[in-house]
Amino acid sequence: MHDFSKLQEAVLAGNSAAAVAAARQALSEGADPLDLVLHGISPAMAEVGRLFEAGDYFVPELLISARATKEVFVLIRPLLAKQGAQPTGRVVLGTVQGDLHDIGKNLVAALLEGGGFEVIDLGVSVSPEKFIAAVADKKAQIVGLSALLTTTLPAMKTTLDAFRSAGLRDRVKVMIGGAPVTQSFADTIGADGYGENAASAVQLARRLVGV
Amino acid sequence: MTTPQWETLLAVIRGEQLRRLPTGFIIDCPWLPNWAGHTILDYFTDERIWMGAHQKALAAFPDTMFLPGFWSEYGMCTEPSAFGATSSWNENDFPFAKKVLRTVEDVDRLEKPDVRKDGLLPFVVKRLRHLQPEIERAGHQIRFAVARGPLNIATFLMGTTEFLEALKTDPVRMHRLLTIIADFLVEWIAYQRECFPSIDGILMLDDIVGFVGKNDFLTFGLPYLQRVYSANVAVKFFHNDAPCKVAAPFLTQAGINLLNFGVQHSVNDMKTWTGGQITLLGNIPPRDVLAQGTPADVERAVTILVMGLQDRSRLVLSCGGGIPPGVPTENIRAFIAAVQKLGG
Repeated sequence: MHDFSKLQEAVLAGNSAAAVAAARQALSEGADPLDLVLHGISPAMAEVGRLFEAGDYFVPELLISARATKEVFVLIRPLLAKQGAQPTGRVVLGTVQGDLHDIGKNLVAALLEGGGFEVIDLGVSVSPEKFIAAVADKKAQIVGLSALLTTTLPAMKTTLDAFRSAGLRDRVKVMIGGAPVTQSFADTIGADGYGENAASAVQLARRLVGV
Repeated sequence: MTTPQWETLLAVIRGEQLRRLPTGFIIDCPWLPNWAGHTILDYFTDERIWMGAHQKALAAFPDTMFLPGFWSEYGMCTEPSAFGATSSWNENDFPFAKKVLRTVEDVDRLEKPDVRKDGLLPFVVKRLRHLQPEIERAGHQIRFAVARGPLNIATFLMGTTEFLEALKTDPVRMHRLLTIIADFLVEWIAYQRECFPSIDGILMLDDIVGFVGKNDFLTFGLPYLQRVYSANVAVKFFHNDAPCKVAAPFLTQAGINLLNFGVQHSVNDMKTWTGGQITLLGNIPPRDVLAQGTPADVERAVTILVMGLQDRSRLVLSCGGGIPPGVPTENIRAFIAAVQKLGG
């Protein structure tokens, strides 16, 4: 097994340039790209999530670690594709229609990517039709719905209903999160999972895809 | 606020033990328009509806104080609009300000707005000016200058993710941005005070302070809060209902003497962290109890809060944040009645 400690240190420090350099060096020394994800990036982002939950890291630290991870993915994604490596799961993610807030969704996207998931980020104020089209097109196993406003919570139910009407509800797991969301709301609208915070979303997604 | 309410607030802030525990709530556009039977857009655009909604709330709940009182506002669009942010309005949703800074380099081109002319600021002032005689005839005074805080405005100008990332990747530009915003806020607050000499308080709202760690707060938060709160007023009121354990011990250094905080922390913990120097406005759960609970749930939450208090001074009982959408009349009444029953 290659030693990915330099890469992990760079991700934890949120140093994009150092992370890319460490990844390049590891690859040049023969490291397997999939190993780099599973044993380099994923544990580092899991540690970032742990530090965030423990109150040692805050949103800016999490964001720059995620940014470092993203830049490493730019480097290794073509190599993974060439190998035919499969992601842990494929997640379509977006903030529901009418809601223009993106911070929670971006944090979840970053941690999921760091956890080995392929994330299709649809952005903010996403219509049910757009979620459905993306899930069908990308063959995603999970759709993640985010909302910050109490007034946009009903759009989560509308989106779920649209999946039911389209006959796709049984083909995709739905996870929801955001400041006004509760487990009881998730149960009421029939979501498959609720993440209390960004860090818990990775565990939830793993559970939903049976990893 | 009426003069007795204002004097009560000042007495609580001085640390005086009152005969009754006071109650108070922040009321604004997330709750007031719909509660009063109007859409949010009608509330913003029709000054009779705006005035009537406030009067209806005051009449329905005479035994509590509403902060900041008659609040002229356009939600989160108020200050960003002055910087040129496009405001997006829906009939019954909160308005949203679109970003004006596409890249961090755009900060170099950002200009400080004219607080007398730009964006929605003249509309904020004019609404109060038009209705000031009526507000005063009702026995109230305009007591607070109100503004979103520097970090909060920065996130509306450039996006939350982009701003929080840039604190780490381009701190020099972020200081430049925050300096422009803080200079603007100083002038905006001074202008409100000039227009309404009865103002003797500042309410600033900034949840973003709760998103950053200690070093970032001390670097990018505290210095700008200190600058904006440097005005000589009796009440320096801060709202942050994101987690604020990190910032709490330093808030007195900005002169803050009244804090509305969220439900992540207990009143007792917050008293400890603020050294007992800040009057707390809180903190039963606003959404899960005040909005979605029954009156019995509200009474239970208030009882637990009051019975658990280690110190009843410097406290105004409220919810942890502003009143959220959908809070029914009977739950606010249950809150006030529960406090009165418990010796309030």
